[in-house]
Amino acid sequence: MRMKYLLKNEQVHFITHTVLNSYAMLFFSNRSGFALLVMLVSFFNPYTGLAGLMATLVAAVTAYFMGFSREQVKSGLYTYSALLLGLGMGTFYEFSGGFWLLLTLASILALLLSAALIARLGKSNLPALSLAFILSLWVVILSAREFGAIGLTARNIYWLNEMYATGGNELIRLVQWTEEWPMPAAVSGFFRSVSAILFQSNIAAGMLLSIALFLFSRMALSLMIGGYAVAILFIRLMDGYAGSVNYYNLGTNFMLVSVALGGFYIIPSVRSYLWSLITVPISYILVIALWKITYTWGLPVFSLPFCITVIVFIYVLQLRQAGGKMVLTPVQYYSPEENLYRYLNNRDRVYSQYYFRLALPFMGEWTVSQGYDGKITHKGDWSKALDFVITDTEGKTWGGTGTRPEDFYCYTKPVLSPADAVVEEIQNWVDDNPVGGNNTAQNWGNTIVLKHAEGLYTKLSHLKKGSIKVNKGDYVKKGSLLAYCGNSGRSPEPHLHFQVQATPYIDSRTLPYPLAFFLTRDQSGAVSFNSFRVPSENERVSNLQTDPLLLQAFDFKPGFRMKVKSDRLEEEWEVMVSVYNETYFWCREKNSYAYFVNDGQVFFFTQYFGNTKSLLYTFYLSAYKLVLSSTPGIQITDHYSRDIKGNIFFRWVQDLVAPFYLLSRLQFRSICIPGGEEEAPGSLLFRTSAIRCLSGKEKNIQSAQILVQGGKIRLFRVQTAHQQTEIVCEY
Amino acid sequence: MKKTWQSPVIQKMNGGLMNKFGTRTEYEPVKHIDGVSVQSLIKEYGSPLFVLSERTLRRNYRDAYRAFSTRYPSVQFAWSYKTNYLNAVCRVFHQEGSWAEVVSGFEYQKALGNGVPGPQIIFNGPEKTNEELELAVRNGSLIHIDHFDELFQLLAITDRIPEKPRVAIRVNMDTGVYPVWDRFGFNYENGQAWDALKRIVTSGKMTLTGLHCHIGTFMLSTNAYRQAVKKLADLAWRCKTELNTPLQYLDLGGGFPSTNTLRGSFLPGTDAVPSVDEFAEAITAQLTELGYGTQDTPKLILESGRVLVDDAGYLLSTVVATKRLSDGRRATILDAGVNLLFTSFWYDHTISPAQDFTHHTEDMALFGPLCMNIDVLRQSSNLPLLNRGDQVVIHKTGAYNMTQWMQFIHMRPNVVMIDEEGNTHLIREAETLEYLQQPEKIPAHLQQPEKK
Repeated sequence: MRMKYLLKNEQVHFITHTVLNSYAMLFFSNRSGFALLVMLVSFFNPYTGLAGLMATLVAAVTAYFMGFSREQVKSGLYTYSALLLGLGMGTFYEFSGGFWLLLTLASILALLLSAALIARLGKSNLPALSLAFILSLWVVILSAREFGAIGLTARNIYWLNEMYATGGNELIRLVQWTEEWPMPAAVSGFFRSVSAILFQSNIAAGMLLSIALFLFSRMALSLMIGGYAVAILFIRLMDGYAGSVNYYNLGTNFMLVSVALGGFYIIPSVRSYLWSLITVPISYILVIALWKITYTWGLPVFSLPFCITVIVFIYVLQLRQAGGKMVLTPVQYYSPEENLYRYLNNRDRVYSQYYFRLALPFMGEWTVSQGYDGKITHKGDWSKALDFVITDTEGKTWGGTGTRPEDFYCYTKPVLSPADAVVEEIQNWVDDNPVGGNNTAQNWGNTIVLKHAEGLYTKLSHLKKGSIKVNKGDYVKKGSLLAYCGNSGRSPEPHLHFQVQATPYIDSRTLPYPLAFFLTRDQSGAVSFNSFRVPSENERVSNLQTDPLLLQAFDFKPGFRMKVKSDRLEEEWEVMVSVYNETYFWCREKNSYAYFVNDGQVFFFTQYFGNTKSLLYTFYLSAYKLVLSSTPGIQITDHYSRDIKGNIFFRWVQDLVAPFYLLSRLQFRSICIPGGEEEAPGSLLFRTSAIRCLSGKEKNIQSAQILVQGGKIRLFRVQTAHQQTEIVCEY
Repeated sequence: MKKTWQSPVIQKMNGGLMNKFGTRTEYEPVKHIDGVSVQSLIKEYGSPLFVLSERTLRRNYRDAYRAFSTRYPSVQFAWSYKTNYLNAVCRVFHQEGSWAEVVSGFEYQKALGNGVPGPQIIFNGPEKTNEELELAVRNGSLIHIDHFDELFQLLAITDRIPEKPRVAIRVNMDTGVYPVWDRFGFNYENGQAWDALKRIVTSGKMTLTGLHCHIGTFMLSTNAYRQAVKKLADLAWRCKTELNTPLQYLDLGGGFPSTNTLRGSFLPGTDAVPSVDEFAEAITAQLTELGYGTQDTPKLILESGRVLVDDAGYLLSTVVATKRLSDGRRATILDAGVNLLFTSFWYDHTISPAQDFTHHTEDMALFGPLCMNIDVLRQSSNLPLLNRGDQVVIHKTGAYNMTQWMQFIHMRPNVVMIDEEGNTHLIREAETLEYLQQPEKIPAHLQQPEKK
């Protein structure tokens, strides 16, 4: 009650989160449940636990009033060093008035050091790790000897007494029972090492933490086990001095190195896992070497080897010239699983969105007569180009006798701008060849070079003489008429040459660059949708035709609100924009976020955060990716970032092996069809499904229909194995 | 080959140099259609026989679609049912992506029966009943209003049913060709079309989806379409700017000619008529010139019929008799006449023998089997001498014949379709007396042969 008067609700909320996150952060997490468990385990040694909590509180309150970035402080990033410091001090020193005073000062010091180090190291994209903790605890250890009010404690020797004081008989029994449990030394050693991260040496604590870790992240636990095994193996092999291998070093140095580099700062992969075979022994050598130095001042090395190994490794990875196969975590989601799955999702689905959107420079269906690295003329510096012609059902490019350019289907067909551009260069005076002619002097013939962006140009060649409709410097929109296809230059029969280039000249070398969206049609007439790909030779390609009513239905402007209703739930969604211009739906009732992109041709979701019971989540799964075209037969497939619907045990197994192999992928499919008999006329229906692909077998685990009518989303229906829901949209 | 005996005749000498081989003919017998022999077709399905080539149907469609779709970004064909509404033919076009264009209630039902979704059926024509309109409105079909009375009829319907009709108006206009087709739709020049559009939009009870015109049939000028595009586009622009109603499509109708030769035309059809490509160029170039196709892209709808189906249809026939007319002309009587070949009233159909023949040709009249003076297929055609039992192939008969044929004196014969693999399918059985009399009713007092 008094707290309430002293601190405002918002402040209590802020401090609670800061403290909880500090606990979670010790294991690279930000999950509150997990944090509560860590906090509980820290109280297995009540004095230690209390000192840790107090130190964190002091740091949190100070941080609040000092006015650091609220979000950063709340994440626990500034305060977990103070927590470690508190745990350390609580372990080493007797409680007294002086102790609390020193704890308070040292906590503030740890906070300031944290802030300073985060700022400095952050500029090089490096984490501050527990450096602030090490420095501040060293300061305490070195200075405390001079204060009479502070004394070392002998509590740790009689730790059973303290257990009794906190948990009574039951806790003692539990602890004793686990201590007496017959288990190999290697296993008990592992649990003790885990507990050592909280300055304990206690199998029960280690077990509890391990279970919590398993629930939080399978990958993190497996990496800890790996780190532990490598360290033990290395010591055996080297016949090393066993004294340096205390549980504390095993836990904080070797096992955490393995987690940090195996799956936290680096996207988990076979490579990152294998690297822990090297980084763990290196930190072992560092432990010994640094201890040789610090023990002269009577200082433990704490987690310094961990910090050095991790920081150096991350720094060095950033010095690589090419990206390399080990990827530094681009956005930290505080869970190796999340990092991996979201990274895969972004790599496969989102990064391609950064390509400039180029469309095919013509109307209707054309055929690629010569693709990249073609055998005829696409060679050397000019190998990444495309030649297009029009073919008939028999695959011929001409009708009639085929002896005049006019006989060729593509001759004098409109050539369009593939994207918005400025006309950079024009050549419009080269005579068209007779069929079979070949003008090697002006080999490009009549040509237009368009500038789309700095360093991104496209070139269209062999145009008809005098047909160019634009002038140098003109601004042209995507799809504007530029000229007509001709037969000028090195062109024995009419065709259109198209290339992307980085420089503005007619003779520029080519640049491989994908086209954004296009359709292909195979011999059987089946149409398929392609995105961010270069068409290959002999493919029949055409531009995607969007449907104005679908464009209207999925045009969600910021501030747009929609009420959705199922028979059980009712939600309101609002469209918002982040500071990075990302658009997202925010569900008011469930405080959930679904990020989406609508580029005028495709609507798709990129990320979802929040409650998975919400209708927004159902919509996110159902409308994962939709092509805004009603051309019959366009089916698209995509993948969800992870198998969201599977059985939990199966998902745990998947998490364990995910860095090496994805056991099952959850595929998304969608197709747009005209509304059937039961729907209102003129409506369009997206049929989408989530399909689990496991060892070559497919299983439909969710089907959905999204009904669009009169330029609005009317409703969507979702059917899973267990239930069928109809959700009505109103706006 | 044993030479067949011909009775001697005195023939007028035609110009040209004599040579030792006599007068030669450039005729080639047409023994096969898509690889299937004419003889075997008649043997199996009888004579006369209509034959349709699926390969030609599809090729025609694809050529026409390509001609437009490589020049304008949004193109939709709608199969003109009245040209040939045999279900098999319609379904070939629907498979290729065509919508349906119908002009009567039963054609509308046929389109539904062929699996065309309601919103992809265009309902044209000057006469539509209340029931037909209501069904079309319920199905979301595109109703092209022909006159003010129909507009009022539709407005009355909107009071009865909740669905909002999706409508367009048919516009007629002067495109510089004679005769002006002004009997269908609302006139552009006298402002009637604009009045109708205003009325539709201000009523608030209908959705104005597009504009329709159909400037004529067997059009021999591409320029007329340029004029039509200009005038339709002007109305579309005013709809967008003055009525705040952007249109979803411009329907340019059909009217493209097939390569049949019109009676009385000096040049053969293959030389006289513009190709689909030329029409496509005229229409799309005019659209592009007016700024359509880049940002504002109403769908371009085409209702071509004849040009897609005419040369895919053949009529096989057998010579019944030959005779000399009083003026010495030769006459050949075939078992197919104007009852089946309605188009012979305005075309000079090309007719080829289906078997080897002598070099000698002669101008002859070709008559059908009807006991009626009108039954003339060709007044005069220069053909080799044919004998009873010989077979002939009449070309380019796919359009309008299988819809306008008459059950008059003779019944309608079998119709077959040769698919792309060369298999023959019977798509309409020859009519029987039973079929013919099935709807007939005989009053009770006529049941007995003798009057009581």
